[in-house]
Amino acid sequence: MKKGRIKVMQGNEACVEAALLAGCRFFAGYPITPASEILEGMARRLPLVDGFCLQAEDEIAALVSVVGASWGGAKAMTATSGPGFCLMMEAVGLAASVEAPCVIVNVQRGGPASGQSTSTAQGDLYQARYGSNGDYSLITLCPSTAQEMFDHTIRAFNLAERFRIPVIILSDEVVAHIREKVFIPEPDGLEIAERKKPAVPMEKFVPFQAGEDDVPPMPAFNTGYKIPVISQAKSLNGNRGNAREAEAFIRRICRKVDARIAEFADVRTYGDEKAQTAFVSFGSVSRAARSAVDMGRERGLPLRSVEVKTIWPFPDDLLEKKLEGAKRIVVAEMNLGMLRNEVQRVLRDPEIEIELFSKIGGLYPLPQEFLRFLEEKR
Amino acid sequence: MKGAERIEIDRRYCKGCMLCQYVCKYEVFEVGQERSALDYLMPRAAKLENCRVCRLCESHCPDMALVVVAKKKGKGKE
Amino acid sequence: MNPLGEKYLRKDFLPFLFCPGCGNGMITQAFLQAVDDLGIFDDLALTAGIGCSAWIAVYMHADVLKVLHGRAIPAAIGLKATNPSRKVVTFTGDGDGLAIGGLHLLHAARRNIDMTVILVNNQIYAMTGGQVAPSTQAGSRTQTTPYGSVEKPLDGCRVATAAGATLVSRWSTAHPKQLTRAFKKALNHRGFSFVEVLSQCPVQTGRYILGSGSPSFNLQWLRDHCVPVEDPARMGEVEAQGKVPLGDFLEIQNPEFMEEVQRMNREAKEARGKGGDR
Repeated sequence: MKKGRIKVMQGNEACVEAALLAGCRFFAGYPITPASEILEGMARRLPLVDGFCLQAEDEIAALVSVVGASWGGAKAMTATSGPGFCLMMEAVGLAASVEAPCVIVNVQRGGPASGQSTSTAQGDLYQARYGSNGDYSLITLCPSTAQEMFDHTIRAFNLAERFRIPVIILSDEVVAHIREKVFIPEPDGLEIAERKKPAVPMEKFVPFQAGEDDVPPMPAFNTGYKIPVISQAKSLNGNRGNAREAEAFIRRICRKVDARIAEFADVRTYGDEKAQTAFVSFGSVSRAARSAVDMGRERGLPLRSVEVKTIWPFPDDLLEKKLEGAKRIVVAEMNLGMLRNEVQRVLRDPEIEIELFSKIGGLYPLPQEFLRFLEEKR
Repeated sequence: MKGAERIEIDRRYCKGCMLCQYVCKYEVFEVGQERSALDYLMPRAAKLENCRVCRLCESHCPDMALVVVAKKKGKGKE
Repeated sequence: MNPLGEKYLRKDFLPFLFCPGCGNGMITQAFLQAVDDLGIFDDLALTAGIGCSAWIAVYMHADVLKVLHGRAIPAAIGLKATNPSRKVVTFTGDGDGLAIGGLHLLHAARRNIDMTVILVNNQIYAMTGGQVAPSTQAGSRTQTTPYGSVEKPLDGCRVATAAGATLVSRWSTAHPKQLTRAFKKALNHRGFSFVEVLSQCPVQTGRYILGSGSPSFNLQWLRDHCVPVEDPARMGEVEAQGKVPLGDFLEIQNPEFMEEVQRMNREAKEARGKGGDR
């Protein structure tokens, strides 16, 4: 039994708590509903642990300064919502290109554009993977509870340090603001990862050359390495690469994550693992899916809820495994079919129609609506 | 009077912009015949004896490709 | 090669990608001279964005973070905040620093962050082939103002001053000694220092606007059109003649951002009693 304490807190507060325990000492953000509590929490807490919190002049400055802080040697994070996430997109690619570990929280709200600032949605799924230009890879985690917000934030920092990537936590307004119990382990009960540092001195160090794990060691600035870190596609020594070098670089920064999905993929099943009808969901919708499974059980209807926790890179194999034996699959999401498209891509069984239960406009899908959907769409 | 032993122009980096000739107050340089590694015609210190080691050419070279090597002490009046 | 180059340049990246006669290499030399005189090279953390002048930073054998167009200043803030003893210097251009990056310049100056911004002003977007910049003289025909620009240029020094910079200078590549001196003052200054450098771009500004692509013509243009003033109050006089005033316009002391943050952190911890983050 792990030692720790239980606190009732909002998902956003749980994020702050976890970030600090993970070692985050730099945060930059911009006020935006429904993520502002994270910036405010960091503003209160970071100074007390000799960290630094900046309210930047815009979201672009926020994420770029996070990248700078990461190369400065710190664990760094930002948090925003859809409109700010859009602004950060160029810098997401920057973080990927300069291989700067960092955590980006997107607390989704109604879109497009200013959308619905105080209502929940899940419309940023594709953007979390493909929002920036060019080829790159990253990891995206989806919490559905305040506890998961805590756990995924620790995990996000660890994955960022391990792979030297931006890790996105795709939250939403419900998870951000719901208040529930969060178990906070004692610090020595937490596994915290740190980036690899060079084992050789500057003269022997080739900054963008990686070993078997495809991840080069990362020195902090002003520790004697004097390395050129540019945002162009680069050769091993950090200069602009020719065609062959650029190709090798792009392939490596994608492969370092994509070739290792099995090591971090997380898809969970709730309910009857053999049930022929399965819901697939991510984020806060998984809460309602679980309740729907419970309701179904009471009515003698076996259901399973398959919940995607690591949504990018998409966990094809694991999802397929979790959906084995399902004859009827309903993807429930608060957008017009983004997760459904991925499930469709993965399963490709002509016998099974991947149904879509879309709830948009800002209202949360209720458990009884899941069951009604099953009846009405028979 | 100060004098130059030689003026070294690094052919790896010279781009033949001739700003050295432009800033020189003593008409030391002319366009030479030799090409640099980058294929530009390099300057030549045709009148080295005019050089006063003011180093304006050095500080104006956009490629840091030029060094004026002064005559050692004792080899002429200071 | 110049001994400063031997000592401080990143050899395996040479030669400079700059055009023959470009002012960027001259600025590199003036900066290295300043840094050498002060003995602070190992403390440097350089940032840059996109554009010809951004490459100045990369050619120096220091820790360099060359980010997106216009975003060098936020990157510098991240580096400064994680270790205030770094000497953070940002190289930017008239496009990178006054157009897309303008907002970040305003706020870094406002905060009076201890860093140095060197804005290389060649009055054009050179890297992309000669488009109009916020610093281009009205009436100029460029790739994007083929019939003549109708916009008044922005004065980076005035902008930095108005925003709260505490050291503001403008020199040119035609004044390498004064430039080196200005760099030294800026590097020693505790607070936000802004040094604008008028620089020749023979290939774009020279050919399209000034009428000649000759490096010496363009350097001569700077000598003819840049006028050092002792008294900043005389800037308007020089501008009325259609010329560019150069000088050390401002040097004052104000509370510096990182010092204020650290003071605030201390006070916050004391107010909490034993400190810690509960």
